[in-house]
Amino acid sequence: MAAVAQLTLEDLRAGLGWRKQLDKLFVIVGLLVMIACLAILAILFLDLVRDGASRFGWDFFTSFPSRKAERAGILSAAVGTTMIMFVTALVALPVGVAAAIYLEEYAPKNWFTGIIEINVTNLAGVPSIVYGLLALGLFVYQFGLGQSVLSAGLTLALLILPIVIVATREALRSVPKAIREAAYGLGATRWEVTRDHVLPYSTGGILTGLILGLSRAIGETAPIITIGALSFIAFLPPSPVSGEFPFLNFEWLRSEFTAMPIQMFNWVSRPDQAFQANAAAAGAILLGMTLLMNALAIWIRYRFRKRINW
Amino acid sequence: MQGEQTSPSAGPPSVSITVEDRKAVRANAPKARAEALNFWYGSNQALKGINLSIPEHQVTALIGPSGCGKSTFLRCFNRMHDLQPDTRYQGSIMLRPDDINLVGAGVDPIEVRMRIGMVFQKPNPFPKTVFENVAYGLRLRGVRNRTDLAERVEGALRAAAIWDEVKDRLSDSALALSGGQMQRLCIARALATQPEILLFDEPTSALDPIATAKIEELISELRQHVTILIVTHNMQQAARVSDFTAFMYLGELVEVGATSMIFTNPGKKATEDYITGRYG
Amino acid sequence: MQTLEQPPSATPKPDADTGAVSGPGPAGYPAEGHISKTVDQSLVDLRLRAVAMGGLVIDQVASCVRALVEHDAKLAALVLSRETLVNAYDGQLDRDTLTFIALQQPVASDLRMVRAIARAGLELERIGDESKKIARFASRAAAQGGHDPVVAVSRYLRHMGELSVTMLRSAVRALDEADAGLARQVLARDRELDAEFATALRQLMSFVMQDHQFLKATLDTVFALKGLERMGDHAKNVAEQVLYMVGDDAESGRG
Repeated sequence: MAAVAQLTLEDLRAGLGWRKQLDKLFVIVGLLVMIACLAILAILFLDLVRDGASRFGWDFFTSFPSRKAERAGILSAAVGTTMIMFVTALVALPVGVAAAIYLEEYAPKNWFTGIIEINVTNLAGVPSIVYGLLALGLFVYQFGLGQSVLSAGLTLALLILPIVIVATREALRSVPKAIREAAYGLGATRWEVTRDHVLPYSTGGILTGLILGLSRAIGETAPIITIGALSFIAFLPPSPVSGEFPFLNFEWLRSEFTAMPIQMFNWVSRPDQAFQANAAAAGAILLGMTLLMNALAIWIRYRFRKRINW
Repeated sequence: MQGEQTSPSAGPPSVSITVEDRKAVRANAPKARAEALNFWYGSNQALKGINLSIPEHQVTALIGPSGCGKSTFLRCFNRMHDLQPDTRYQGSIMLRPDDINLVGAGVDPIEVRMRIGMVFQKPNPFPKTVFENVAYGLRLRGVRNRTDLAERVEGALRAAAIWDEVKDRLSDSALALSGGQMQRLCIARALATQPEILLFDEPTSALDPIATAKIEELISELRQHVTILIVTHNMQQAARVSDFTAFMYLGELVEVGATSMIFTNPGKKATEDYITGRYG
Repeated sequence: MQTLEQPPSATPKPDADTGAVSGPGPAGYPAEGHISKTVDQSLVDLRLRAVAMGGLVIDQVASCVRALVEHDAKLAALVLSRETLVNAYDGQLDRDTLTFIALQQPVASDLRMVRAIARAGLELERIGDESKKIARFASRAAAQGGHDPVVAVSRYLRHMGELSVTMLRSAVRALDEADAGLARQVLARDRELDAEFATALRQLMSFVMQDHQFLKATLDTVFALKGLERMGDHAKNVAEQVLYMVGDDAESGRG
């Protein structure tokens, strides 16, 4: 047996120095890159805020758009966005979760379901304007829903469906096999296992996915332009709640609408420079809403994770 | 080796089993009986022609080297293999007294699992309260009345020798318990539904010696109420806890007999080699 | 000077270089083949120690009978001095078997073997005690210049001594080689020993009836004869342990 040369202590130490240098170098590079990105984001945001600073105020929120820049506000746009998000969430959540449950728990693992899985993820990459075109043909004309809040909501729901499905599947998968086995062992059917154990423990992940999807949808302009969002609306969609019987109505779903991104786009393309400030202010608010929603998603994930330790 | 196993009913007497052995097995009527049981994972045959009686109200241990099929055999009893794709049973496991074939094609696996309970290797309580964990099986069976549930949960927790430790913590999360307590909770959960056979799949391999000893003691006591089948890697545990021991190797049943006989004077050389550490 | 008789079987000697006992034990011996070589070695050590003790005790028996029959005081003294050695062997064997059981939790054939060796050690120690008593008597007899009762039955003493030694030798060999056949021969031999004892006793009784003078000496001789008979019984017990060790139902389909 040939003797193997042993590393001396000096050899070890020599190599160690260089390796630790590389280590530190990477930390520095990573930190720099991250700071650069955050700085850019911060600068953009602050720039927007500064540009739109003159417009911030209660009036901005409660006024309709107007030909005079100082009096133009985002009331209709904000309300429109809110209503659309509401519809989107209401549609995307059950459909996405149900689809994910089927794919994850029920579908047999064969080539057919494999193809479906691949395509679901692909859908996330489809350009949003294509969704707009689809919606125009299907919802607006074929189903006769018109250029309405309902159409917009459905379109955006389709858009974020892949996000919701993928997030839900991840959440379902994170439930350990042991829990399922225990439930099956007690004589539960597949639906009982899903309903009583898998879904409750995945709620955190599902909600996170939904909110991330919504924070993407909130800024989507192309699809809702395509289906006909107007940019100058001096009225609000009818209120869902009214004084007379029945107290709830669904008229608002069918009304015409506008949304924040549309309004911004409209203001930015006006020749009058004064409207730039409006656009900046609206942009800052939109960005703020997006960041807020992301923060909410993170908080929800944190709260749910604390409750369950596998 | 061609099927030289003990058989309480008719059949050529096995060379290896003494008169005392057979008397002992016959003294306990079987709760279940595997007959010519074969099992495949895909094209791989994991169980080959198993014939084994599980005596009622006794603890039967399954021992053997890794990959011998003991866990596979155990999981046939409550049809857990049905949750995997591409598995196939052949032969039967007859449950007495109604003579149902547990692995029969026409028998509903859900129904089987409601009659046969299982405790797993790693304690796996639900992330719910202690009470809800034990009550879950009862709720599945339609027990809704609060007093009823409370009574039966207490009964199960007492039977699992953990009532005193958790009676003030019924609304606390089950995950706050220690490993040994969690496993006893899982046992209580399985007992709540009054199973006819309780299956243990290496129940203490993840626990420390004291928790292990408590659970072995529990298993010993439980035999009065329920028939027990336990798979274990630990031969000393099989020796301590079981009344009958079955040795399996490469998917076949090599030998079965009273534990005291197997560990002092086994019939087959393969068994002898395995338990004395000559195997391999 | 009496040399220690060699252990009666050809057990493998430890290798000078590695200290390992070469090769498997004699055919059919259940000691070896464990995955753990430590366990193998422990069991071999136990067996060799039991056999060595057996060798010593055989020599004790042969020597004490010779000392008595030939009025050899020096030989008697030697036997007496070695008694502590016999006890030491037994104590060691006892401790070693207990330790092995506690640490290794043996089962089946290993457990039976360890138990058989422990009990055999006990029996051998008792044989050692009997030979000590005979040696003491031999000392006294030699000091008083020979005893007529001893002379009268010296033929029987010698013969019984030979029988005992043969039985013992076979029993120890059976233990070393796990030889059930040999063990059964020992059981058969015991009957012969008992018959010899009965005859010697009758001879002594007729001697005493002729001459009452040597009553004490006669009683001592009777005890010596009884001691030899008991040695045979102990040898028989050792043989029974061997049968227990190989599994009484010897036709148990072992491969």
